[in-house]
Amino acid sequence: MAEAATARADATVRLGARNISKSYGPVRANRDISLSVAPGEIHAIVGENGAGKSTLMRILQGMEHPDSGAIIVDDQEVRFSQPQQALETGIGMVHQEFMLAPDLTLLENLVLGDEPVSLAAGPLSRIDWAQALQSGEELAKKTGVTVDWRRRAGGTPVHIQQTVEIIRLLRRGTRILILDEPTAVLAPQQVEDLFVLLRNLRDAGTTILFISHKLKEVVALADRVTVIRRGEVSHSANVAETDSDTIARYIVGGNDTSLIETGRASRSGTGDGEVVLNVAGLEAPSLEKSHPLHDVSLSVRKGEIVGLAAVSGNGQDELVECLVGLRSASKGRVELLGGNVTHATNGERRRKGIAYISADRRHEGLATLAPVEDNVVAGSHDRPPIGKGMFLSLKQKRRVATERLASVDVRYGRLSDPVSSLSGGNQQRLVFAREIASDPKVMVVSQPTRGVDLNGIAAIHNLLLQFRDDGGSVLLVSEELEELLYLCDRIVVMAAGRIVGEAPVKGTDIAEIGRMMVIQGHADG
Amino acid sequence: MADASVESQSSAMSPSLWFEKGFGLAFPFIVALVVAAVILLVIGENPIDIFSLMAKESFGSERRIAATLSAATPLLFTAVATAICFRTGVFNVGVEGAFVVGGIAAAFIGFSLPAGMGFAIILCAFAFAALVGAIWLYIPGVLLAKLQVDEVVSTLMLNFVAFGVTGYLVNGPLLSEVSGNNVTPPVHEAAELTRLMPPSTLHAGFIVGILVVIAYAVWTRRTPTGFSAAMVGYSQRFSRAVGISVPASIILVMVLSGVVAGFGGASHALGQLHRFSDGFSPGYGFTGMAVALLGRNSAIGIVLGAILFGALASAGTTIQLFSNIPLDLVNIIQGTVMIFAVVEIGRLRLLTRRAAP
Repeated sequence: MAEAATARADATVRLGARNISKSYGPVRANRDISLSVAPGEIHAIVGENGAGKSTLMRILQGMEHPDSGAIIVDDQEVRFSQPQQALETGIGMVHQEFMLAPDLTLLENLVLGDEPVSLAAGPLSRIDWAQALQSGEELAKKTGVTVDWRRRAGGTPVHIQQTVEIIRLLRRGTRILILDEPTAVLAPQQVEDLFVLLRNLRDAGTTILFISHKLKEVVALADRVTVIRRGEVSHSANVAETDSDTIARYIVGGNDTSLIETGRASRSGTGDGEVVLNVAGLEAPSLEKSHPLHDVSLSVRKGEIVGLAAVSGNGQDELVECLVGLRSASKGRVELLGGNVTHATNGERRRKGIAYISADRRHEGLATLAPVEDNVVAGSHDRPPIGKGMFLSLKQKRRVATERLASVDVRYGRLSDPVSSLSGGNQQRLVFAREIASDPKVMVVSQPTRGVDLNGIAAIHNLLLQFRDDGGSVLLVSEELEELLYLCDRIVVMAAGRIVGEAPVKGTDIAEIGRMMVIQGHADG
Repeated sequence: MADASVESQSSAMSPSLWFEKGFGLAFPFIVALVVAAVILLVIGENPIDIFSLMAKESFGSERRIAATLSAATPLLFTAVATAICFRTGVFNVGVEGAFVVGGIAAAFIGFSLPAGMGFAIILCAFAFAALVGAIWLYIPGVLLAKLQVDEVVSTLMLNFVAFGVTGYLVNGPLLSEVSGNNVTPPVHEAAELTRLMPPSTLHAGFIVGILVVIAYAVWTRRTPTGFSAAMVGYSQRFSRAVGISVPASIILVMVLSGVVAGFGGASHALGQLHRFSDGFSPGYGFTGMAVALLGRNSAIGIVLGAILFGALASAGTTIQLFSNIPLDLVNIIQGTVMIFAVVEIGRLRLLTRRAAP
């Protein structure tokens, strides 16, 4: 390992945590976490949303103080009372949202807050731009990238912004680089470039800690991996001595791992049941930045999951709103269980047996500031057992809420806590708990696993499959093609507000559907 | 982070949360007292003396307490009428107008029905006042629910219509023939609400007001319509998507608000003034809004807030007699409380949003 650039070449632990615990009220975000990152190592931290990764990173950066335990830098225990100290010690973090000032050039961003000056301090001092440029070029060369320093940061592609952010930290003396899901914003080729850059940095002696959700990347890049689950370290190993299956098992807690792999769920539906939901010749005006609906026809039968594949903004949101009664169609028919519901309200359609999982969980699926209890009973509050004539039974409301939450294993603090205190996965499970409880015949489900962690995804997939196996019907809108292929019995493809194709799942590959989504969409404008 | 590990599952509030709520209620008053103290120091008065005088004037004896509760009575109604709408996210500022039209409706019944009907006149007066108040706010309610007409503008403007219409009525068709200008004839003696602690003006309307607050508390927590309205207040999109009718909720809360404001007007006309006169309400609707904001729309908060504002009003009227303090000081305290009641709510909302992941 090359150690030339670092102060203490002899340290065995460059950055570490010793028995760190941190609680927020009743929530124990970190429990007795120990971690050690060797000098010149790329160390991956993986775990579900809400597992406690971000808390740990905030502690390592001095943004939070642990309740107990210590941070180790170069084998020494350190204490950060503010983030500035961590930066001075050489710990720098690249956040998911970059911190560059969009109106400044990349060079200005590079030196912002630490400008080289030509004259000594005083009113006559000037920023030495030549020296700034030189230092930027040197670091760029060292990391193997080229940067046009005169560009405005706001107009620069994200991967260049990310590189500049890294160089900026290196210039400030960072020797321990923390990256929070660095590949989330990158295209595949850019991910490769980033990995090359990070390997170069490692070989030059920088220690790298990166947070990721993508096991493929962890295996490809990291030397060592630590898995955090429910606030504790569940696994830590050299990547060479483990594999993604093992890591996945530790992430979700030894649960059924088959769902993490892409595969076909077993299906019982034969596809010749009665038509439950039927749409004929539907037309509707478009939402903002989207496409109006043109002559959309499709049907969903009893006991099947029909996928709707479309690139975002191609009319799927309009269709969903027309189906559940939140938007009125200008032409065409919507039939639910043989009855015409084209002009029925959402409430009327729900009473006939439709349920709706909104893609916009924060604004439509949930009232985020309202209590957990109210969110999970809303819609059922005006009929028995909760609503009794003019009154509402608080006891029944609490009982129904508790039962529903338990039925899909939602983890929450108190029933009176606002729903915003739950993690994304738990929020979505709460939505499912509410929707399935009304015993619907058909569910219109849009982007059900967006922003949900692995364990949550598995749970939601199981819920949908169970619902189908019990004779329910689902129209599933998703941008995740793998999800559609895994769950659906057949897939309808939509582009530019029209249905452009339909494929049974068996014998169809992702590329074919992807082509229909993209090519047909462009052809139509 | 929130799902890491959770120990307690009880739905009871922790002591620290109670403390937070209590502090939230007291905070605007503390700031107002500090501001008032500074003003008193500037004009060369001892704030401690003045405050203790004010406390004595509002709670010092049975008579003073009765005066305070009497001043709080109309605020109970107007605060509930406001809170019904605010918690639904409907910014109804027309309670003042509904209070006034309800008052003239009750006074009209009070003097025009035959005196021999006795107690039934009171029931008829309250019913008619509620009807008029309900219709009064039903109009902006429908405009908002069906045509998205901004309720702040429509209800604010309706207040002026209310002042104009009642002003015309008390100077024209309903003008008393015996007393001077701008007043209706007095209501029959049978239509007057009982005085609870003579000679103070505290009357049975206070009890009606407390009953209204209790009914409000029941409605908010223990009825499906109250639940729906709360959900609409949290998020209209969410409510629509779970099958709650947003227009129905909006119209309902406006009508309920009108009913309660109408009751308030009836209570004031039959219990306090025994007639309707021009300048019937010195802004009870707006003070009620401050009480609702301060009380965070909660029943207990409204009762406490109404009594505190009642105390300020009753102390203010007598404090001029015993000191050099102008009545304006009370207005300054009221104004400061209102500002910080709103500020505090804004701060809490911001904190909750930040806490969201």
